[in-house]
Amino acid sequence: MPLSRRTVVAAALASLPARAFAQIAKVYRVGLVTIGGPDTTVLSPAMAKEFAQLGYIEGKNIEFERRAAQGKSDRLPGIIDDLVAKHVDVIVTASYPAAAAAKERAGTTPVVVTFSGDPVATGLAASLAHPGGNITGVSEIAAELSAKRLAVLKEAVPSVHAVAVLWNADDLGMTLRYQAAEVEAERVGMLIVPLGVRAPDDFDTAFSEMTKKPPDAILMVTDVLTTLNRKRVIDFAAEHHLPAIYEYANLVHDGGLLSYGPDQRSIFERAAGLANRILKGAKPADLPLERPSRFELAINLKTAKMLGLTFPESIVVRADDVIE
Amino acid sequence: MSAHGFSAARRPRRPLFQKYFIVLFAAVVVPLLANGASEAWFGYHDQKVVLGQRLRAEAGSAAGKIQGFLDHITDQLQWTVQLPWGNGSDERHRFDVLRLMRQVPAVVEIMLVDGNGIERLHVSRVDPDDVNNGIDRTNDPAVVGARSDRIWYGPVTLYAGSEPHMTVAVAGARANYGITIAVVNLKLIWDLIASIHVGLSGDAFVLDRAGQLVAHPDISLVLRGENDPAAARLKELQQATVAGGGEAIEGRDAERRVVIAAMAPISGPDWMAFVEEPASEAFAPLRAALWRTAMLLLAGAVFAATLAYLLARRMIGPIRLLGQGAAAIGAGHFDHKIDIATGDELESLAQRFNEMAGELALSQERSERIARLKRFLAPQVAELVEGSGQEILLDSHRAEVVAIFCDLRGFTSFSHAARPEVMMGLVQEYYEALGTIITRYEATLTCFMGDGLMLLLNAPVPCPNPALRGVQMGLEMQAAVQPLMSRWQARGHAIGFGMGLAKGPAIVGLIGYEGRSDYTAIGNVVNLASRICGVAEDGQILIDAAVAAEIGDELPLMPLGSRMLRGLTEAVSVFSVRPTDSNFAKLPSANALAVQRNARQS
Repeated sequence: MPLSRRTVVAAALASLPARAFAQIAKVYRVGLVTIGGPDTTVLSPAMAKEFAQLGYIEGKNIEFERRAAQGKSDRLPGIIDDLVAKHVDVIVTASYPAAAAAKERAGTTPVVVTFSGDPVATGLAASLAHPGGNITGVSEIAAELSAKRLAVLKEAVPSVHAVAVLWNADDLGMTLRYQAAEVEAERVGMLIVPLGVRAPDDFDTAFSEMTKKPPDAILMVTDVLTTLNRKRVIDFAAEHHLPAIYEYANLVHDGGLLSYGPDQRSIFERAAGLANRILKGAKPADLPLERPSRFELAINLKTAKMLGLTFPESIVVRADDVIE
Repeated sequence: MSAHGFSAARRPRRPLFQKYFIVLFAAVVVPLLANGASEAWFGYHDQKVVLGQRLRAEAGSAAGKIQGFLDHITDQLQWTVQLPWGNGSDERHRFDVLRLMRQVPAVVEIMLVDGNGIERLHVSRVDPDDVNNGIDRTNDPAVVGARSDRIWYGPVTLYAGSEPHMTVAVAGARANYGITIAVVNLKLIWDLIASIHVGLSGDAFVLDRAGQLVAHPDISLVLRGENDPAAARLKELQQATVAGGGEAIEGRDAERRVVIAAMAPISGPDWMAFVEEPASEAFAPLRAALWRTAMLLLAGAVFAATLAYLLARRMIGPIRLLGQGAAAIGAGHFDHKIDIATGDELESLAQRFNEMAGELALSQERSERIARLKRFLAPQVAELVEGSGQEILLDSHRAEVVAIFCDLRGFTSFSHAARPEVMMGLVQEYYEALGTIITRYEATLTCFMGDGLMLLLNAPVPCPNPALRGVQMGLEMQAAVQPLMSRWQARGHAIGFGMGLAKGPAIVGLIGYEGRSDYTAIGNVVNLASRICGVAEDGQILIDAAVAAEIGDELPLMPLGSRMLRGLTEAVSVFSVRPTDSNFAKLPSANALAVQRNARQS
């Protein structure tokens, strides 16, 4: 189209404020999905804080579409479809079911996965270095850590022999963690009491079993089901004076005795970092999956005191998070 | 032709204005350009040298930081080899390790090997601790390396093809203190490397000797592992730097930006720290300087052009004025004044032009005056009168003059009979015959009257013996006219030629009006000469007594006695001049008269 000089000048003049406005007005839309409850994992303020660290201000240049499936995995496909329809720029998921739903239904919308086990082992991604497709995120060192937790538990409470493992038996990833614990227990001569749960009601069954035949300690594998019922587990442990080890520090803050696992904050930090790269135009395929590189040991001295326990120095000396 | 027509009519092929403009413009712009170009050239080279030095310093600083990161780890590891093995020191060794791992997050695994090369403790962040597994690590390269060098750095390996790890081993001061082997997650250098900024958007990265990317602000680039095309570009940069002897070089970085990169070695693990700065940014000051120079050059060129234009116009303006002036003067406008006040040669040239115009005006005036005098004076006399400034002679005054009248006899009847062209042919021949003689004798012609003439001698220019001279002239005129007369008479025309001369006082002077004036004499002598002529017959020269008295014996005269002439109250004595050959011989020629006069003049 031939342009008169006047048109060009007018366009140039018009484009100045328009471009400046566009830069201010560009609002990124980020979908946050968890199978768990509201305010957990990626829906938590801690996640929003990581975005804020990168210069995003909610309501100004970023909008979050927060979706919690409340443990109902059949709601996830609808949630993903809804986010895609809303044209979010990136979807950040927590949990394997959320990641799997996103992989299946998000289409070209980039996905950043968290808390979904080892994405390579579960087939979400081709490899850490080259995930392929539209998925990247933070991988988990899932199974091996169960053995480490058992060892930490044993070191914290040397008298422990029989350990009840609470896990979501419906979740393959969680079952892998249980199995790792079982292997380690066998190696060091401990006893595992498997207490697989599939629904909130199953916890009552597990509790009654533990009441009938009390273990020396509890190891809770963290997934949405157990997280949603964490309060009941923590209360039960306190009530029955059972030492319990968890995967993440937040459960220790909620009253759990101790935990060993990746630093959640750094997981959020990396997830937000990857989402940021995607928002700035990077392709997920170019962003390798990242393994958590920081682990933390959290101990709750209050709970220990209540249980009449004293942590040995080898535990205290390496505790990253101590609740007094 | 108008004065303005000068430039249009003869437009120069290569105008002076153009030449002046080009020369003046070049005089300013050429040095300016040369200066600008040399400044840009040397500026570029200086900038490059300075840039190279700066980037190498930055690389050194980055290398220092990375080395510091590694030194921190090895320093911490040193704490674990301060105690000898045995005597129940196992627990203390373990505490050292646990503390260290709490202290140094980058260490993901630690193995303690005792003095005998046996692994005593294996602590991992992921796996349960392994105590006294008895693995013999005597030949482990880490153990061998640490034993010989105290500190040993292993190669960079990629965990699961993604995360770079490196094994570091330190040996205690004594063999018994054992050796600590640590696996370091190099991903944790990221915070450090990401915090290094070079310029505005430059950054740093680290490669090992083999070109494996160890650290980069884009952690994804590191995690993509081997065979990544972006990382391969960094490897090329490394190879180019090594080939270039460590000097800063230009290349493309992982993001394909054109960058200037410099390298500094990290001696411990034999890595190389690189810093890179986008070339566009690195040369920004130079580009700014170039822009400045270009702008100055442009401003200089505009200034030079303006100056050259003004100067050239200033120089050309007077020349144009001179040209127009010359055209105006050429067109006869002698009063045209060329007004140039430049105070230089052009002004004096304009003055010369003005003077020349004045002189031309004078000269033209003079030639006009001469032309006017020539109407009645012989040319030589006219020029003499004009040139010598004796114009006072023309003023009216009383003078003793010889008045000479001559005319044709029978001309009136001839003119009636003859055809006009025949008549005019005769008159023409007649006057041509007389004209040369009159001029020769320097007689003053006062007027033509058809077939007659009136001449004066001794006025306005006096001459010696005017009467004798008048008679001699008359004789020559008769001698010249008579052959003509004979020819015409032979054709049957009854015409003749007679003359009358008288001498006496008269008032002489110019009469007439503006532009048309004749010299004439007024007095009785004129009347008398006319009357005498009226009675003269063909071939006769009649003179009055005054003339005869002056001639005396010079010529043979024949008294004709007193005669009553028409219009005169008294009778006058009239003489006739009879021409003879001997008489002619006595006469001074007209040429001799001229010589005489010239001698008198000088």
